[in-house]
Amino acid sequence: MLFNTIEFVLFLPLVIFAYYLLPHKLRWILLLAASYFFYMSWKVEYIFLIILSTLIDYACGIFMEKLKDKNARLPFLILSLSANLGLLFFFKYYNFASENLNLLFDKIEINKELPLMKFLLPVGISFYTFQTLSYSIDVYFRRQKAERHLGYFALYVSFFPQLVAGPIERFSRLSPQLKAPHTFSYENLAKGLRLILYGLFIKMVIADNLAGLVDQIYATPQHFSSLDIITGIVFYSFQIYSDFYGYSIIAIGSAQIMGISLMDNFRTPYLAKNIAEFWQRWHISLSTWFRDYLYYPLGGNQVKKLRWIINIMIVFVVSGIWHGANWTFIIWGALFGIIYLIEKLINTRLNIEKKHRAFSPGHLLLACKTFVLVTFIWVFFRSQNLNEAIAILKFIFTGTEQINQALLVPGYVWFWLITFIVSDVLLYNKRFDFWLADLPLVGRWLIYGVLIFSIIVYAGVENFPFIYFQF
Amino acid sequence: MYKTLLARISLSILLLLVLNFIYSKWFYEADLQKHSTLINLVREVPKNTDILYIGESSNITFRSNDIDKSPISTFLGNHYPNLNTYDITKPASHSGIYKVLLNHIPTKSEIKTVVVTLNLRSFNAQWIFSKLETPLQKSLVLLKPYPPLFNRFLLSFKAYDIKSEEERKQQFLNKWKEDEFQGSYPFPYKNVREWDYGMHVKGIKDSLGNIDRKQTELASHYIKAYAFQIDTLHNPRINDFNEIVRLAKERGWNLVFNLMAENTEKAAELVGTDLLYLMNQNTKLLEQYYGSKGVLVVNNLHAVENEQFIDQHWTTEHYAEKGRKTIAKNVALALKQWHGNAYEEVNDDLRYKTAFFNNCDDKHLVWGQRKSISEEQAYSGKKSSQTGAGNDYSIVMSYPLKVIPDSLKNHLHINLMFYQNAPHHQAKLVVQASGLNFKSFWKGFVLNQKNSPLNTWINYQKKIAIPDSIKQADIIKVYVYNTSDEKVYIDDFSIKFMP
Repeated sequence: MLFNTIEFVLFLPLVIFAYYLLPHKLRWILLLAASYFFYMSWKVEYIFLIILSTLIDYACGIFMEKLKDKNARLPFLILSLSANLGLLFFFKYYNFASENLNLLFDKIEINKELPLMKFLLPVGISFYTFQTLSYSIDVYFRRQKAERHLGYFALYVSFFPQLVAGPIERFSRLSPQLKAPHTFSYENLAKGLRLILYGLFIKMVIADNLAGLVDQIYATPQHFSSLDIITGIVFYSFQIYSDFYGYSIIAIGSAQIMGISLMDNFRTPYLAKNIAEFWQRWHISLSTWFRDYLYYPLGGNQVKKLRWIINIMIVFVVSGIWHGANWTFIIWGALFGIIYLIEKLINTRLNIEKKHRAFSPGHLLLACKTFVLVTFIWVFFRSQNLNEAIAILKFIFTGTEQINQALLVPGYVWFWLITFIVSDVLLYNKRFDFWLADLPLVGRWLIYGVLIFSIIVYAGVENFPFIYFQF
Repeated sequence: MYKTLLARISLSILLLLVLNFIYSKWFYEADLQKHSTLINLVREVPKNTDILYIGESSNITFRSNDIDKSPISTFLGNHYPNLNTYDITKPASHSGIYKVLLNHIPTKSEIKTVVVTLNLRSFNAQWIFSKLETPLQKSLVLLKPYPPLFNRFLLSFKAYDIKSEEERKQQFLNKWKEDEFQGSYPFPYKNVREWDYGMHVKGIKDSLGNIDRKQTELASHYIKAYAFQIDTLHNPRINDFNEIVRLAKERGWNLVFNLMAENTEKAAELVGTDLLYLMNQNTKLLEQYYGSKGVLVVNNLHAVENEQFIDQHWTTEHYAEKGRKTIAKNVALALKQWHGNAYEEVNDDLRYKTAFFNNCDDKHLVWGQRKSISEEQAYSGKKSSQTGAGNDYSIVMSYPLKVIPDSLKNHLHINLMFYQNAPHHQAKLVVQASGLNFKSFWKGFVLNQKNSPLNTWINYQKKIAIPDSIKQADIIKVYVYNTSDEKVYIDDFSIKFMP
C-alpha cells in the first residue's frame, strides 16, 4: 500500500477515525493491527519477519534489564544483533555475497558454486531492523529501560507511517508518544494534512514526472546528447530528493494527525555548504543513527588522525552497504567519505568555509559546489551496476550530437520543478506546515488549491514506487 | 473547534467544486486525448446509426489473399443496405471495455440494435488476468461516470487494477490450480494444471511415433484457452455483460451477443472430445443465461471451418473472408427478428472487384498504411494520406490480381489528387506486383510535373498497360512513395482495371 494510492487515501482516514473513537487503552491494538495490515499488503508472509524480530528484541531487552553485569548482558545483545543482522544479511546481502564469492571461486579455480536464492526483498527491512537494533543497544548500555508491554513494543517496531521507509525513530522518542493519551485536535489535523498535501505534491508531481525521463536516460544513454544526459543526471538529484522527502513528510503528517510527532528527515539538503552539512540535512534519521551507533562507538574524532579517517570511511561505506547489496552503493558511500575528508582537509588548511550568512554569495557558491558533487555521486546510486554508471559518465562527453526528441521535457514539468526548487529555498530551515500556518487564510487556501489541483491534474500516471522502499 | 472544522469542510467542498469546474473546462479534454483515446471510438459513431457492432480484432483481421478484406461489421451491413451500420473495434478488448464504451453512447443517438462480440476465450483465466489488463483498465479511469476531477484523482492515485506482469501470471496459475472441473462428466484431469502437465508428458505423436513438441505445445495452449467452466457468480465477464444487458434495457436497444466461432475442429484433433465438451457446455450456459435475460445470442461456436482460421498455430478468432462472411450472415439472419423488412440476400457470386476508391475518410476501407492518414490537408472530406517527412508510403491498395479475369485487366487507370508544399520532393506513383515463383515487378512514375503549382490540389492521371507477365501475380499494390523531407498529400485515390 503506497502512500500515493487510493488504498492509502481510504486506509488513513479510517484508522484515524477509529483511533479517536476508541478509548486510549485500546488504541495500541488498533494501531498494531493497522500497521500489520499495512505491511501485509505487500507480502503477507513477511509479517513473520517483523514478528520474529519483535519477539527476539523484546525478550532480549527484558533479560538485559534484569542483568546488572554488563558482561552478562552481552550474550543477549549479541543474540539481538545477530538475529536482526542475520535476517537482514540473509534477505538483502546473501545473493550479493554468493555472486561475488562464486566469481572469486571461479578466478582461483575452486570448483564450488553457492546457490542463489529467489525471493523478494522484504519491504523496509533495513529500516525496522535499524530501529530495533537501536533499542537493544540502548537497553544494553542502560540508556533505555526495557519495554514490558509486548504490544507497545511491537507497535514501536511496526508503527505504519514510518515502518517501510522511516524516519528511523528511537525508542525513547517514539514509545512515550505511542503511549500518551492523545485527544483529537484541529491543529494536529491541519498540520498533518498540510504535510501530507505537500508530500504528495513533491512525490507525485515532481518525482514521478522526472522518473520517466531519468529512466529513459539511464536505460539507453547512447541515444542521448551530452546535454540530455546532464539534464537526466540533474533530474535524478531532484527525483530522489522529492521522492524520499515526499515520503518522509507524508509519514510525518500521517502520524501528526494522531498527535505523534516523528523526527524531521530532511532540511533543504541541496543548500548545504559541504558534504558534512549535507548529511546533517539529508536522511537525518539515518545519519544520526550511524553517528550514534557506529561512529561514536568507533571512537568518533576522539582518536588519532589515521584512525579517524578510517572511522569516517567505515561509516560512509557501511551507509552505502545499508542502502543496497551492490558495488555501486559501496562506491557511492566511499565517494562521500573521500569527498568529506578532502573537504575537511581543505577547510582546515584554507578556512574557506568560514561562516557565510544564509544566501550570501559565498553560501550559494558553496551550495552549488556541493550540489554538483552530490549529483555526480548519485550516478552510482542510480545505476544498476558499475558498467552502467561508467557508461553514463562517459556519455556526458561522448553523447550524440542531436538532442533526443524523447527527452523534450514538457513545460509543466519544468514549471513544477522550478516551483518546488523555489519553495524549497523559501523553506530553508523551516518546515512547510509551520511556514504555511503563518500565512493569512486566503493565502493558505490559495496554496491548498494549487497543491490539490497539481496533485490531481499533474501527477505522473505511471506507477513509480518510492525509491527507498527497495532498501 | 467543531465550528472551525465545519467551516473548513465547507470551504474544502467549495474549493473542490471550483477546481472541478476549472479542470472540466480547460484540462479534461486534453487528458482524455492523452490517457483515454478510446472515447474517440464512441464519438465517431454517427447519430443516425441503426446497427452498432462492437468487437475486437476478430472484426477487422483478414488473410492477406482475401479478395474482400472487409470487416464482419461491413459484411453484416451489406445485408441491411438501407440501414446504417457502424462499428466500434478495439483489439484485445472484452466486455469490461465494451461496457464503458457503450455507456458513453449519447442518449440522443438513434441506435436501434447493438451487436456485442461474445468471445468465449475472454472468459478464461489467462485472459482475465492478462498483462494487457493494467493499461486497458488505466485507459478507462477517466471515462468513469463521476465528475471529471474525481476521475482524474482516481487516475493519479492509481485507482484501477494495477498489477505487475509477474503478479498477473501468478493469478492465472493459481486459478488453473484452484478451479476443479465440476459435474458428472468423466474429466480426464481435475484442473487445467494437471491437464496441461498430462499433455506435456503424454505428448502428441508424429507419424514416426515421436513426440511432436510443436503440436503438443499447441494442444497445451488449447487446454489453457478453453478448459474452464464459467462461474456465473464470480466470472468478471459475466458481471460486465450483465451491465451491458442493463444498459441496453435502459436505452431501449435490441441486444445481440455474437458468440464467436472457435476452432473446434483443431481442438478436437489436438485435445479430444473432453475439451469440446467444455466448450459446448460453456456456450450452452451463455446461451441459456443471456437468453433468459432477453438477449439474442447468436451461437457461432462451430460455424467456421478449420481452414478459415488465419492463425493455425495459436488460438484466435481471426477468420479469413469466408469465415467472416459466415459470422456476418448468421448475425444478419438473427437480426431479421427486428429488421426483417430491411434484410437483403447478398450476391456473393461476383468474386472479384475491378474498381477501387479511397478518399481517406472511410475507416472501413481496408487499405494498407492507414497510419499515413492525416487531417492536415484534405481534398474531399476531412482527411488525406500524408507522405514524406519520415512517412515514406501513402495508403496502399493491394489486391490479388490473379482473381480478375485476364480480359478485364489489360490496363490500369489511376486517378488521384495530390498537394505539395514545395517542388523538390521525389514522390512517385508506384505499381508493384509480387507472388510465389514470380519475378517481382516495380514501376514508379514521378508525380510532380514541371511548373506544378504549390499549395493547391492537383489532379494526376496515369494509364498503364498491364504486361502479360504479371497478370497472374498474387498481389498487386498501388501507392505513392516519397522518401524526401517534403510532405505530399494524396486524396481521392482511384484505381480501375480496364479491358
